[in-house]
Amino acid sequence: MKLRDLFRPETVKLELESEDKDDILKELVELLELDEKSEAILFKTLKRRENLGSTGIGKGIAIPHCRSLVVNELRLAYGRKSDGVAFDAIDEKEVRHFFLIVAPPLEVSNQYLPVLGKVAQFAKDPEVPGKLTELEDPAAFLDLLEAHGG
Amino acid sequence: MHPQLVLLMELQDLRAQKRALHQDSGETVGLEEEHFNLDRSRAVELLEEKIESLKDTLTPQLRTRYERIAPQRDRVVVPVIQGTCYGCFVSIPTATAGDQIGNTLVETCENCGSFLYIVE
Ligand SMILES: [Zn+2]
Repeated sequence: MKLRDLFRPETVKLELESEDKDDILKELVELLELDEKSEAILFKTLKRRENLGSTGIGKGIAIPHCRSLVVNELRLAYGRKSDGVAFDAIDEKEVRHFFLIVAPPLEVSNQYLPVLGKVAQFAKDPEVPGKLTELEDPAAFLDLLEAHGG
Repeated sequence: MHPQLVLLMELQDLRAQKRALHQDSGETVGLEEEHFNLDRSRAVELLEEKIESLKDTLTPQLRTRYERIAPQRDRVVVPVIQGTCYGCFVSIPTATAGDQIGNTLVETCENCGSFLYIVE
């Protein structure tokens, strides 16, 4: 499974508007276009995961992730906040790039963990943050994934 | 959606998080520790506290049903997809499935006792 095929242009937002951690999570959840109740449940589950330890892995990247009943297939989204937002990241720096990963509790193909690993690997490539910052449209994001073999 | 069903779903999501951290050699734990620096035992503790406090907000009747099925299975709320209960893979009677559209009730599967969540 290629990362490129798990994102859609509609789930890529290059100008997130939110100014704090909670609102960023909500804005990312909105990209998945679920109903309102499901959005609320998913937000809470993500928030609870963040309360266990931030998913901000440093170098301006965060990967909020969880399993939740409200999705029936693996869903991914990417959001960019050029100015950066405080996200309690490991290196205490502001976060600019957000990869959201949500999987159903039971998955026929068991893609969640491999995909989480792949996204973390992609995000940790030293060239990637700079390239993400330069992206001009969602299609370029998909091309970047493709170019990195994902 | 029925507010108690929302609670049950939240409980389920919390239990899934906790379970993922319990698998000793599990891939999840590896990933969480490697990439996210997660303190596993602290995380499990926090999740347990949260689960307990959420359980207190269930009605007594639902809490009893929850306590009865929760220890035996990973999922207390299961999706119903195209008329099939994903707890036991048996078809749900059409009337039950019909009543539950919009998830406005708290229904259980007659066969396996799981709480039902209709995925449209
Ligand atoms: Zn069943």
